[in-house]
Amino acid sequence: MDTQRLEIARLFHRTGFGPKPGEFAEALRAGVASTRSKVLAPPSKVSFVTPPTFTDLGPRPSPNSPDVVEFSQQLRYQTQQLFLWWLDEMVASPHTLQEKMTWFWHGHWATSIGKVNYALPMFNQNVTMRKYALGNFSEFAKAMFSDGALQLWLDGQENTAKAPNENFSREMMELFTLGVNRYTETDVKELARAFTGYQVSRSSGLVTYNARRRDTAPVTVLGKTGAMSPEEVIGHLVAQNNSALFIAERIWYRFVSSQEPLPQDHPMIKAFADRDVYALMKSLIESSALSQQQYSMVKSPVEWFIGICRATSTTPSKLPSPTKLTNYFSTLSQIPFAPPNVGGWPVDQAWLSSASAQFRLAFATSIIKEANLGELASVSPVNRPAYLADLLGVVEWSSRTAYAMRGVRDDPQKLLVTAVCSPEYVVSQ
Amino acid sequence: MIELPRVPGQELGMSTVTRRQFLKYSGVVAAAAAPMLTVDQIAAAAVTRPLPLGTPILVVVTLYGGNDGLNTVIPFKDSAYYSARPGLTYKPETLLPLSSDLALNASMTGIKSLWDANKVAIVRGVGYPKPDRSHFSSMSIWQTGSPGAHLNTGWLGRWLDTQAIDPMTAISLGGVLPPLLVGAKQSGSALPLGGLSIPQGVIGTACQRLAVPSPSDNPLMAAAATSMRNLFNVSGTVQPILAKPAPASEDLPTVAGGNAGGDTDLSRQLNVVAKLIAAGAPTRAWSVSLGGFDTHANEANAQALLLGTVSKSISTFLSQMKASGRSKDITVLVYSEFGRRVKANGSEGTDHGTSGPVFLIGDRVTGGFYGDQPSLSKLIDGDLAVTTDFRDVYSSVLEKVLGAPSERILSNWKGRVNAFKS
Repeated sequence: MDTQRLEIARLFHRTGFGPKPGEFAEALRAGVASTRSKVLAPPSKVSFVTPPTFTDLGPRPSPNSPDVVEFSQQLRYQTQQLFLWWLDEMVASPHTLQEKMTWFWHGHWATSIGKVNYALPMFNQNVTMRKYALGNFSEFAKAMFSDGALQLWLDGQENTAKAPNENFSREMMELFTLGVNRYTETDVKELARAFTGYQVSRSSGLVTYNARRRDTAPVTVLGKTGAMSPEEVIGHLVAQNNSALFIAERIWYRFVSSQEPLPQDHPMIKAFADRDVYALMKSLIESSALSQQQYSMVKSPVEWFIGICRATSTTPSKLPSPTKLTNYFSTLSQIPFAPPNVGGWPVDQAWLSSASAQFRLAFATSIIKEANLGELASVSPVNRPAYLADLLGVVEWSSRTAYAMRGVRDDPQKLLVTAVCSPEYVVSQ
Repeated sequence: MIELPRVPGQELGMSTVTRRQFLKYSGVVAAAAAPMLTVDQIAAAAVTRPLPLGTPILVVVTLYGGNDGLNTVIPFKDSAYYSARPGLTYKPETLLPLSSDLALNASMTGIKSLWDANKVAIVRGVGYPKPDRSHFSSMSIWQTGSPGAHLNTGWLGRWLDTQAIDPMTAISLGGVLPPLLVGAKQSGSALPLGGLSIPQGVIGTACQRLAVPSPSDNPLMAAAATSMRNLFNVSGTVQPILAKPAPASEDLPTVAGGNAGGDTDLSRQLNVVAKLIAAGAPTRAWSVSLGGFDTHANEANAQALLLGTVSKSISTFLSQMKASGRSKDITVLVYSEFGRRVKANGSEGTDHGTSGPVFLIGDRVTGGFYGDQPSLSKLIDGDLAVTTDFRDVYSSVLEKVLGAPSERILSNWKGRVNAFKS
């Protein structure tokens, strides 16, 4: 296998959402070092598509009031706008590492609109994730404590001095900052007390402090005792060596391999000493991990879809039916802003059921039907597979897939559908 | 949105393919040069080898989120139960008594009738050593069947590894395959509600070609090819069956359309399973699930609704199976990743706890209680003790339902739950 081509393909698909037309061939000419630098170039902006305006819709009117219809329509409309905006952003962004990190953090602090209900708090959370996507993780974690959507999602407002609720404190340690078994059950209970006293407006996501609900007694969390604010105690969690290890593990799991563990001496752990996410990603990208053949990963449905849109210059919000689009994502079990649980989305084999094979096929057919395939059509049929390998950023076609493509190479639409449903494209090799 | 396939059963072409050809196609011989079979042949192969009547069938029901066992099988005479969770208990007179000190949640009338018919075994206090309170870790421990070491295979996946390669042996309802059915040599298949449609025409041919493993595939690419292959295998068999009406249940009223109670996700899943079992699908293990049990707040009503769905879906399902002649073959296993804290949390809900009851339901089961009820006066750090290891249950299910030795699947685990008629 051509390892330069392999690493460049991975730089496009892992640290981004796949190449736009021409980018892959250009990167091959420029070489690995130059492609790494390009991925690591600091983004000029964190958002490239103007977001829609999300208004505070206020509390849900009572079921029989005349306002409830308008309210429900607005709620649905804003949710749909939110979903389309982010898909467009992922397709448009020229700084795909920034965008891919935002996507990673969404799966990390996995919050679902299914429970939050309103688009505005979910949008605000996305803005926070963009801001800190490649920033300081300690500041990020503190900001996430005051995130209304996350507070709602994990019953933060149910957590009071009188009746502590451990949901948020447990996940803060287990899933967000330290990892399972790196704290005790007592730490969970103590941390819950340090998190008491906050309330959230459901419709706006605004978090407010309520002194009457606050447990002001000192707490002891991971060996540190004191009457600590949530920010202080989160700072203490993130300062643990285990936190650097945990975030490096999560990045490894989502960017390199879910099958093989992070090597214990990987430089990215040390690179994260100051909790600088950019430094961690730089260390990963400049290490040899992405050139090693064994680290393949299955693209999640969103990654797979965005890759096709980027290659075919498709704008998701301009596809004929947003409802249909949501339905496809729903059948593939991955809807942005609606992860299945606080652990985020599954990986690898979970996306490879016979059901998902069928849905990918139907989904690809519906996207590609709308695409302008003029350039593909102008390539002679015999050269089309090679052209598609560069367009899509595929390392190489197997003899199996080459044979499958031969039967449809005269029909650009069917050929492209076959290519994007092949194991070589569904899997980032 | 997904077009319905045009493959009614009569047009499937009943030419027989040999077992050997079928296995060859299914990946036992991983060679790019494996001969191509047509969709019709594969579907026919499945239809021509229905599961023999009398073959035991396992249906696993996973309750995601951590079902509160104390409000499922309720120690309604124990004052400690009422004092630990004010606002979260039910009035004793509304409950369905099972014995002098335990009662079922009032919503579980269907399972109560089955209990009265001696078809429900309730295994009490089930869990594993050093309970993990994380949903993900604990569910992974239950599904892999391995509390000690982390395994990449499920306990039923490892059973699948002992079976002939066949994508229809174990099927999970829903688009994503649970770790439960992941094996090292072969995994179960996923079947979404609504069924699968087989790619047709030129693109169908291209897909069949994509479904062949290539020597240059890495393991995930080989798995991607396999998923495409299973689409042809599973969908060819089940699609015509799914178009049929649901089997009628003999002793339950049906609502319009014949799908009694078919409005919840679990009942829809079990409805599909009922159709496929009735049609003779060569499937020995099914996996269905219901989520929503993570009741940190306002638990009492929410859990009663969920348990009502579980109870009604299962009793309807077993009732539907009577007409098929297979009701005697079926065993239903119901579990969740953990129970909940004994004490309520003040949001009228409960936080993550430890052990909980496991239900075994069916004609092959000897009804009654198994395992000790964890004592409310001997809590461990505020949580229920684990009195029965889930591997006791799994070993017995493997041996008595699936007729398979459990030693290699569960590392020589010795405990058993004697809840099955021999």
